[in-house]
Amino acid sequence: MTADRPIVQLSGVSKHFSGTRALENVDFACFSGAIHGILGENGAGKSTLIKIISGVLQPDSGELSVNGTRVSFANPTHAVASGIVCIFQELSLVPDLSVSDNISLASPPRRFGLIDKRAQRRCAEELLARIKCEDVDPNALVRELSLSRRQMVEIAKALGKDPKVLILDEATSALTSRDVGTVYELLADLKAQNVSSLFISHRMHEIEQLCDTLSVFRNGQHIETFAKGARTDREIVRLMIGREVDAQYPPKPAPKPRPEHLRIENLAWERQIKDVSLSIGKGEIVGLGGLDGQGQKELLLGLFGVLRGMQGRVTIAGRPCTPGSPAEAKQASLRIALVPEDRKTEGLMLAMSIADNLLAASYARVSDGIFINADKARQAVEDGIAKLRIKTGSADDPVATLSGGNQQKVVIAKWLMTDPDVILLNDPTRGIDVGTKQEIYRLMRDLADQGKTILLYSSDYAELIGCCDRVMVMYDGGIVASLSGDAITEEAIVAASLNVGGAVPHAVPGPSHA
Amino acid sequence: MKIAIPSLKSEDKPIFIASGFILVILSVGTVYTLSTQGTAPLLSPGYLLQQLQTGSFLGIVAAGMMVVILLGHIDLSVAWTMTAAAMMATTVGGDLAIPVGIAIGVGVGLVNGFGVAYLRVPSMIFTLGVDSVLRGLMVAHTGGFAPQDSATPLMRALASSKLMGIPSAIFVWLAVSLVIAIMLKRTAFGRQIYLTGNREMAAYLSGVRTRRVILASFVVSGVCAAMAGVMLAGYSARAFQGMGNAFLLPAIAAVVIGGTRILGGQGRYAGTLVGVILIVLLNSVLSIMQMPEAGRQVIYGSVIICMLLVYGRGNKVQS
Repeated sequence: MTADRPIVQLSGVSKHFSGTRALENVDFACFSGAIHGILGENGAGKSTLIKIISGVLQPDSGELSVNGTRVSFANPTHAVASGIVCIFQELSLVPDLSVSDNISLASPPRRFGLIDKRAQRRCAEELLARIKCEDVDPNALVRELSLSRRQMVEIAKALGKDPKVLILDEATSALTSRDVGTVYELLADLKAQNVSSLFISHRMHEIEQLCDTLSVFRNGQHIETFAKGARTDREIVRLMIGREVDAQYPPKPAPKPRPEHLRIENLAWERQIKDVSLSIGKGEIVGLGGLDGQGQKELLLGLFGVLRGMQGRVTIAGRPCTPGSPAEAKQASLRIALVPEDRKTEGLMLAMSIADNLLAASYARVSDGIFINADKARQAVEDGIAKLRIKTGSADDPVATLSGGNQQKVVIAKWLMTDPDVILLNDPTRGIDVGTKQEIYRLMRDLADQGKTILLYSSDYAELIGCCDRVMVMYDGGIVASLSGDAITEEAIVAASLNVGGAVPHAVPGPSHA
Repeated sequence: MKIAIPSLKSEDKPIFIASGFILVILSVGTVYTLSTQGTAPLLSPGYLLQQLQTGSFLGIVAAGMMVVILLGHIDLSVAWTMTAAAMMATTVGGDLAIPVGIAIGVGVGLVNGFGVAYLRVPSMIFTLGVDSVLRGLMVAHTGGFAPQDSATPLMRALASSKLMGIPSAIFVWLAVSLVIAIMLKRTAFGRQIYLTGNREMAAYLSGVRTRRVILASFVVSGVCAAMAGVMLAGYSARAFQGMGNAFLLPAIAAVVIGGTRILGGQGRYAGTLVGVILIVLLNSVLSIMQMPEAGRQVIYGSVIICMLLVYGRGNKVQS
């Protein structure tokens, strides 16, 4: 370490989001000229941490100091002024502007108050040359670039802000292997110039190769910081897991042979799903594990008829299942239901009443001819509210007035009203309280006992272990591990999620230039 | 009002405000006529019925427009849909006149709906284009002159005869209103319009066939405009160029004044009804006051903007 004083230091920082803690009393320090890796599961608080450091979020309590002086950033521009630059997971480029416009978007070079195009272009060329992207034309529109090139432009843009601390949040996830190599060299260069980097990645081998220091986060807490090589892979995985068990799960039935209901063979879609084969029995709960964005969501949407151009074969009870839309998927012959990922935009019409939301998928069931039968509709709504014990004043209140847990219950009740056979759930307990979570776990088991086929994606590994008869771990669009019975452990899931020591060779997705 | 959550009350609020404003218009107009002429024509049933008779054309167009606006879309082709339906009806004549006129409306609605729902062209652009195409077709059809064919007796009867002392056009308007109101409230299609208008993605993922809903809604709008056009031709005994032009903006204004969210998903049919009456009365009071055209336009526009500003308070919807 070249400096004895940390360039960025957090002490006692906490951050809460509507009841859930994202960070709890975190002390963290990063030194000049270090490449500091940050590890943790989904929702461990990594993103919140870097958002606080880069000024996007403000801590509820605690202090942030840069170079020993206490600071409080009101917005990312303040942070950039102090030399803290972040490359975010979600790209922040404007697709319809040129590469050079994007690179100097925040503070373009000016002459007489007007943007100096020539200086801007020169600046863009220099920065691009620095990351070996001379092939990118500074005048090209960002929308014409491939994902990998865009990510490199993003890095050039960050370099243009002359960082003292560079934060990379999953910045290499979209890069081709050649560009990944370039980024490694760049980070080494920056290190030599005494610039420090905070590096977040889900790829263990990258972190091992690059970082001098590693910090592990879990459940919003900073668990441990240690030098590279001080811990083995196994130990790191265990540090990332070891959490308090905060939910009770209904007992699982003893494993028994079940008649096959849903069968998926060699399913593939674009780049997101790769040769997935899976068979689920009647009354079985199968979990999908893995890190966010490994194709789990696409798999569920694909089965529900949302994606175009799927390859492979799906059968339900031996009959081919190729719905062209959710409307076809819910029909009597298939009876598939999907509880989508984001209840606020995909599951509910927030401004409409609870009753309307509950009936949204079932108007045909409560109608006589073309007219809705008011009695049947009221009965169905009352049944739905009673069955899931939705806490509500009146069914005519807007669904937005309910708590998150009760909103999610409305989404589930909406689908149960269609009497589905196959139930697909996309992270149904995200962001809801423990009590409601337990009700949902019990409900899932009850439904399975009634002979429903359930496929559950969850970002919470404990949930997969507690609820599922089998767990499939996905990585980069394919299933890399199938666990059942006692083999479903956090260690096994986390190891498979990171694909360490996995059977499938690591493949870097390399989208080609269009 | 700090409540950010729309409730039934917030949906009803515009209807109350607009109704109150109707009373204000009536009383201001009456005070004016009493002080200048010593009479109060605005309060005589005969005068009001006559106003409502001319308002019924606007009312029918607005009913269809509302269905499309509930989806978050808009139908800018109503003006020439009206004209085209009127012209084709008078050209064909005889018993087939009205069915042909309505068929024009169905056709235009199908084209609009297909463009918006399946080709995914923004409705504002697509319907504007269709409007222009229709105008071109009608000019070609008539050669640019006023068509000489006159409206059939049935068309005239629907538009200008009286039944029990009440203009029959008002009955047609009421019938259309009843159909639209029941459709919105009591049929799966109607509820699916609200679902789709609120959040198309969530509606689609709930298994609503959102594209068909959009297509059918544009057909409803086309049919309503065509009916209004056919009746207007009956009222003026013939079709003429640009006869629908004066209806587009007032129809949109009536829907919005009635409390329907211009972005879709919220609104009650009763509001549209009140909105139409408000616009009709505002126009007639301004003409009684012999306000010059320029002043009329300024007042008319200001009233619409002010009413929307009033509604905007406390109605910040959606997170």
